[in-house]
Amino acid sequence: MNKSTIRIPIFFLLVFIGGLGIAGAQTFDIASGGQPTITGAPTGSVTGSSSTLDDLVVTVNFGELSPMNASSVVKVVVPIAIRSTQPYRVTAQVSGLVNANPQSLQPSDIGFGVNNFRPLGNQAANCINSSHIFYSPFHNDPASNITINAAGRAAYPSALSNIVLSTTLLTGPRLSNNSSPNRQENKGYAFDAILAVTPQFFAAGSSSGTITFTISAGPNVPC
Amino acid sequence: MMRSLKIAAVAVCLVGLFVVGTAAQSTSGTVSMSATVSKFVEINSGGPVTLSGNTGGGVTTDGTSNNPLAVVINLGELGPSNESSFVTANVPLKLRSNAAYVLSMNATVSSSGSTANRITAADVGFGLGSVTRTGVGVHSSGTDTNATSGDPTLVANGAVNGTSGRYEFTATRSNLAAFSSSTTALNGPYIMNAVPRSNANGLVVPAMFAVKPQFFEDGTTTVSVTFTVTAP
Repeated sequence: MNKSTIRIPIFFLLVFIGGLGIAGAQTFDIASGGQPTITGAPTGSVTGSSSTLDDLVVTVNFGELSPMNASSVVKVVVPIAIRSTQPYRVTAQVSGLVNANPQSLQPSDIGFGVNNFRPLGNQAANCINSSHIFYSPFHNDPASNITINAAGRAAYPSALSNIVLSTTLLTGPRLSNNSSPNRQENKGYAFDAILAVTPQFFAAGSSSGTITFTISAGPNVPC
Repeated sequence: MMRSLKIAAVAVCLVGLFVVGTAAQSTSGTVSMSATVSKFVEINSGGPVTLSGNTGGGVTTDGTSNNPLAVVINLGELGPSNESSFVTANVPLKLRSNAAYVLSMNATVSSSGSTANRITAADVGFGLGSVTRTGVGVHSSGTDTNATSGDPTLVANGAVNGTSGRYEFTATRSNLAAFSSSTTALNGPYIMNAVPRSNANGLVVPAMFAVKPQFFEDGTTTVSVTFTVTAP
């Protein structure tokens, strides 16, 4: 066997290995959908990238949530960009926010909803045979739908207590027009994840938690 | 040899292209959250003042439930021409907190009189009445500790001094002399469950003031009482 006979298979093997590394990753992508915002939080803040080319890494400080905060609600809007070359599913799961005292801030005290689905640009796939579907009960702005329950506590149509386990928020047909793996500003769609908390007589203390958004293969629907 | 290097270089470039293409992609993202809840306490008026046994005088600035406490009362005549057993003023207080609280009180009494027969802090009876924790959102099972002796007009809380003949409020912390410096009058566990501040309920307790009309030295007297609630 001469040397070139060996070299050529090695060449294709290398290319194949490289291709394998991206075969899964290029199909789905989740990223920042723009600059996150916060209102009603004099001592709060939110940080995240305004670029739809950056990863989704957002840090929210709700600030003071006792009655010292005179705002009726603290609202955070996190734009999220999603891209795919196949039908997709977006899930969310919250971790942390565990407080044994029922009067402390609980996952049910943080309203959580999604809305405002929109194309990022002219490379967003315009599928006519299937719709993008927000799953119940998440398609709402929790800051605009606050009610008071029988115990006198603020309640929301959906809250972080609904995503203690990995839960589907959104599914639909492919999101991107071409099959290029590159993250582009005009390719795919964006939606807003909305968090809302009403300052209340919560038991004093501090709380923290993390929401993880994941995009993966969804129901096999036509574009 | 050169041909081998070229093939390897092309392969590396192709792999590199793929890697560049994937570097900016991710299938998950995170939103990290934090929040703070500080201890919070407040005191407001628990409702209108009740004044009784007075001759003349009246409530100059009344209390309005859930508004800041800023009551002004004229007790009227406190000499023997007032034949009432006591002149009493009942001032409802409303307390709210998300943590254990302490209600303290500080009183000053100044009189235009110059003798021992003028009205002094000891002549102004004081006590906190029954505490009520009722309504949606109130921690109704909390137990409060009243450091006063309650209604100062109760027989058990005062009597005529057998030697001087002066009526005295004798029970523990039953007159304003006991509050010449900031002194705890009431304390207890958290008052409100996790409800918004717009919830108007809370702990209500009447602050009861009483003066026995007597042959006090003539003149005018001013009593100033400051209530303070804290969360230690």
